[in-house]
Amino acid sequence: MNRVLCFASGQPYREANSQRMATHSINLRDLVVLVADSSSYLSTIIHRMLRGFGANKIMECRTSVELLQTLTDQKIDVLLCDANLPPLGGLMVTQMIRRKVDNENRTIPILLMSSDTRETAVKQARDAGANMVIAKPISPASLYDRLAWVALTPRQFVDAPTYFGPDRRFKIEGYPGGVGRRKGDNATEVAEEAGPALDQGDIDNLFSAARMGKD
Amino acid sequence: MSDDKNNNEDNVRVFDVETTFQKYARRPGGVPRDRAIKYAMSRVDELKPEFDDWLDKELQALAESVRRAEEGHEARGWIDTINNHARQLRDVGTTMGSELLTYIAGSLCSVLDQMAAGAKFNKESISCHVDALFLARQPQYRGLKPEQVPELIAGLRQVLEHVSTSPS
Repeated sequence: MNRVLCFASGQPYREANSQRMATHSINLRDLVVLVADSSSYLSTIIHRMLRGFGANKIMECRTSVELLQTLTDQKIDVLLCDANLPPLGGLMVTQMIRRKVDNENRTIPILLMSSDTRETAVKQARDAGANMVIAKPISPASLYDRLAWVALTPRQFVDAPTYFGPDRRFKIEGYPGGVGRRKGDNATEVAEEAGPALDQGDIDNLFSAARMGKD
Repeated sequence: MSDDKNNNEDNVRVFDVETTFQKYARRPGGVPRDRAIKYAMSRVDELKPEFDDWLDKELQALAESVRRAEEGHEARGWIDTINNHARQLRDVGTTMGSELLTYIAGSLCSVLDQMAAGAKFNKESISCHVDALFLARQPQYRGLKPEQVPELIAGLRQVLEHVSTSPS
């Protein structure tokens, strides 16, 4: 049942650049981080991780309604959003943020947190305009590396009739420390599904697939 | 934000964006990766003494929801309720040191998703997952990986396969 879905482009970049990236750090001080998840306990865990990274302005919300209101009321610097955030869901929220022309938060980095890591789900997140998908359960290393990647890897934005969001054609050139897949990231597979679950490394590579002509 | 190029043929505009996040995050003075992860882990570790209390409450709430389901309450509502508890357990288990908890809760989510999608209601398949979650909560199972309890995992796989092949 287990499978390896390999978009081979990511791994060599990751290895080649791991040493260079290992020296990088990110400074989250005074950046407003919004954590949107219906679980207060999970939000607390993420909050603690962010504090450990040096973030000092962390907000939380429990619903997509609350999230959209918060984004209307104030400037947010980065959004960590549950893909299942009730009632609208993270995908819909991402699309709404990206499509709202007069919102100053339209181009903020959006990282979707999801336990559904099937290829179709990850592609949907990417096509909704998410910068990155983080596989749940989340580890400090996984979260730090994705935040660092978003911070340190510039991406253009695309404004098209059917899409507004970060350019989906990009390549990953390695994470700080060269971290790629985590054993513990694998979503559990116990029965037939519409598609296999991807681990975090596969998700990262899927985001890079378009440039390589594989998506 | 500055225009970089215009593609008139497709009405596609591609432009550079430098967000506040990117600008600020690149400032000097950030916490180096290894230290940041160490700090984060120690802050998460501070939550672990409370984790058992939280876990007990979640499991009790889950068991109560299953009991209500067995009493014949409206199906859609209790599937959602049980699924919410199961998702929370799945999403924090591994982070808090219990990969087995995440596995079992994930399997329960799959069972419930199958039922929500039309598979036949089978209360035993839910109950055995709840029993397995209570088992995983025991100290001797704490820290175990799914591959270290192959019989338990094989049993859960069979349950899920049974549910997925049962028409409503």
